[in-house]
Amino acid sequence: MEDQPGINPLNRDPWRRLDFAHHSRRLFRSILSIFLLIGAECAAARAEPTAHPEVQLQAAVVAMEAGDYGGATRKLEEVLRREPNYRLAQLLYGQTLALRSGAHIGSPLTDDQDPRLRELLDEYHARTDETHAQPEPGLLPDGLIKLADEVRHAVIVDLAKTRLYVVENGKSGPRVVRSYYAAIARNGFGKQSAGDLRTPVGVYHITGWTPGAALPPLYGAGAFPVNYPNSWDRSLGKSGYGIWLHGVPANTYVRPPRSSEGCVTMANEDLLALQSLLSGGSTPVILADKIDWQPAAKLAAEREALTRDIENWRRRWSRRDTDAYLGFYASDFKTDDGMGKSAFAESMRRVNAGKKRVKIKLAELSLFAYPGEHGLVVAQFVQNYRSDNFTSSSRKDQYWRQQANGDWKIVREENR
Amino acid sequence: MNLKACRIAAIMLMAAGGVGSAWAATPVEETQALIARGDLDGALKRIDRFLAASPQDAEGRFTRALILVRQNKNADAIKAFSELTHDYPQLPEPYNNLAVLHAQAGDYEKARDALEAALATNPSYATAHENLGDIYAALAGAAYNRALTLDKNNPTTRYKLSLISQISSEASTGRAVAAAANPASAAGPASAPTASPAATAAPSPSAFAALDAWALAWSNRDVDTYLASYAPDFQPDGGLTLDEWQTQRRSRIGKARTISVHIVNPHVQSVDAQHVRVSFTQDYRSDTISDKVSKTIDLREIGGAWKINRESIR
Repeated sequence: MEDQPGINPLNRDPWRRLDFAHHSRRLFRSILSIFLLIGAECAAARAEPTAHPEVQLQAAVVAMEAGDYGGATRKLEEVLRREPNYRLAQLLYGQTLALRSGAHIGSPLTDDQDPRLRELLDEYHARTDETHAQPEPGLLPDGLIKLADEVRHAVIVDLAKTRLYVVENGKSGPRVVRSYYAAIARNGFGKQSAGDLRTPVGVYHITGWTPGAALPPLYGAGAFPVNYPNSWDRSLGKSGYGIWLHGVPANTYVRPPRSSEGCVTMANEDLLALQSLLSGGSTPVILADKIDWQPAAKLAAEREALTRDIENWRRRWSRRDTDAYLGFYASDFKTDDGMGKSAFAESMRRVNAGKKRVKIKLAELSLFAYPGEHGLVVAQFVQNYRSDNFTSSSRKDQYWRQQANGDWKIVREENR
Repeated sequence: MNLKACRIAAIMLMAAGGVGSAWAATPVEETQALIARGDLDGALKRIDRFLAASPQDAEGRFTRALILVRQNKNADAIKAFSELTHDYPQLPEPYNNLAVLHAQAGDYEKARDALEAALATNPSYATAHENLGDIYAALAGAAYNRALTLDKNNPTTRYKLSLISQISSEASTGRAVAAAANPASAAGPASAPTASPAATAAPSPSAFAALDAWALAWSNRDVDTYLASYAPDFQPDGGLTLDEWQTQRRSRIGKARTISVHIVNPHVQSVDAQHVRVSFTQDYRSDTISDKVSKTIDLREIGGAWKINRESIR
């Protein structure tokens, strides 16, 4: 609307510009599902009397769509009383008021070259677009092939849609319990090297929690560091460090969808709500380029095939059946310290020959389809190794690649 | 922002006896006469004497509150109008004036609430509507600033709203409302001529031809001709000065590769001999944007040519 003479163009057809009008039904459904998610959370906690600011904002958008600017104004005021630095809510609030004022004011939306406005519109779309709608209840991210019982929660971020989901691994199986807006790096995702201002794509875990008081104001309420670069990243020569999941400075409610140098940022309130759910060293964080939402049953085939392969791998090793054991490793397998398949095979034969007995026990197996890769799954488990002269217990990340014939082979492994 | 001249609507008070009743100099009228002469102390004494005898008289209390405003005792005036809204919630005028005082203090939220209360009691209350429009605009401006985290020192326009100087009778529907310039207000006339809805005269071909030329110049991206369509005292919306607006128009029209502007379904209304209002659907297309809006343009005859005086989207 760059060429209207200084008058608020939104007067006339405000929602066309913000694309409010198109998908109200879908939007409504998505809002409903947010309600369900958050409602469930509230019912469980019995502590949070008011809706999440995002839910309040969506309700205001629905009111605006229906032409109920009075209702929208009141709803936005509720949001803003709670989160005065919610800039998108301020923009929508200004917009409803400008409409009600009868064109006495110029809207900043007349200047669509203003980068600050672009960021807010991006955030608006990230929160409301049809393609960004919430998954249907009961669906799971296809990357979560198996969660060990010991893993209570997993975090999965849809980087393209700037949305973070918390999956709770309860008695009746995993289910999505939280969904938050989460902003990513300025240049998007797919980090390759230090300074490329991208958020990594991969399977990581939380390594700890640093409270905001111990950090510069930029980090807001605090930070969960993650273990980028992991062994897979290192094998691909990816570099960079300090990828965190953190809050935002006090002068804003959230940051624009693409704004950080590589980290994932969230509203401070949302970040703090995660604190009780996430635990350092074990909570998986999957940074996904995209998420396909699937019924849990659909993930069963891969889960069973891989669980069986891993069990057979363990059994061969325990029997010191070295040839069969080595058969689970792909020809392009590499150890973490750069050993190729043949050197690894030689070393395993030597070690196994020196043992009278070997006993391997595996526990806490989780399986994640590796985002951004085709046919790659990372198996994470605790490996208890006991032989006649050596005992160890370690967490292992084992990368399985599906071969052309459909078999799964190990391409990389790391003890951590 | 559009700084409005102070609108003061002096509403004729109809005597309770009905049409044609004679005017008697009531204590309130005597007080108003003293106010008009500028004798505020005298006015206050007169009304206080009256209120000593009739402490609950709404009109008397309202007039007293107005004197406090004139005396710049705004805190006292706010208190007096608040009490009136409490005791006479059905009267819109005290809410309106309370809103004006809150707005003067920069508290637009409170001003808004008071005006909405005024409109709840009297939905057709024109002054409250107009004031509320300004308040919404002020709140919108502040919200936009916060949304874009603009400089907080950015001076925001203080809105000058219309104070109501008399209470109308409650059975007021359909009653004549006379707007009279108040001698105490040196703010001048309203910035734009107001079309009288009754004065629909024959459409003016020459005014419409001027508008056609305006659309053509815009479509041709002939900025000089386009800008020449506007009166020298044209007031752009959006708080821009005429210079800033012209610069912005030059840059924006210059940026587009193609523009076409069509005036669809124009409705021409003569306001008076020198003023014409044209309402139409503006069908705008450029290489980047297409848009249809309902637009109203006021034209004024200046030296034999029709120039655009005011332009707004409805």
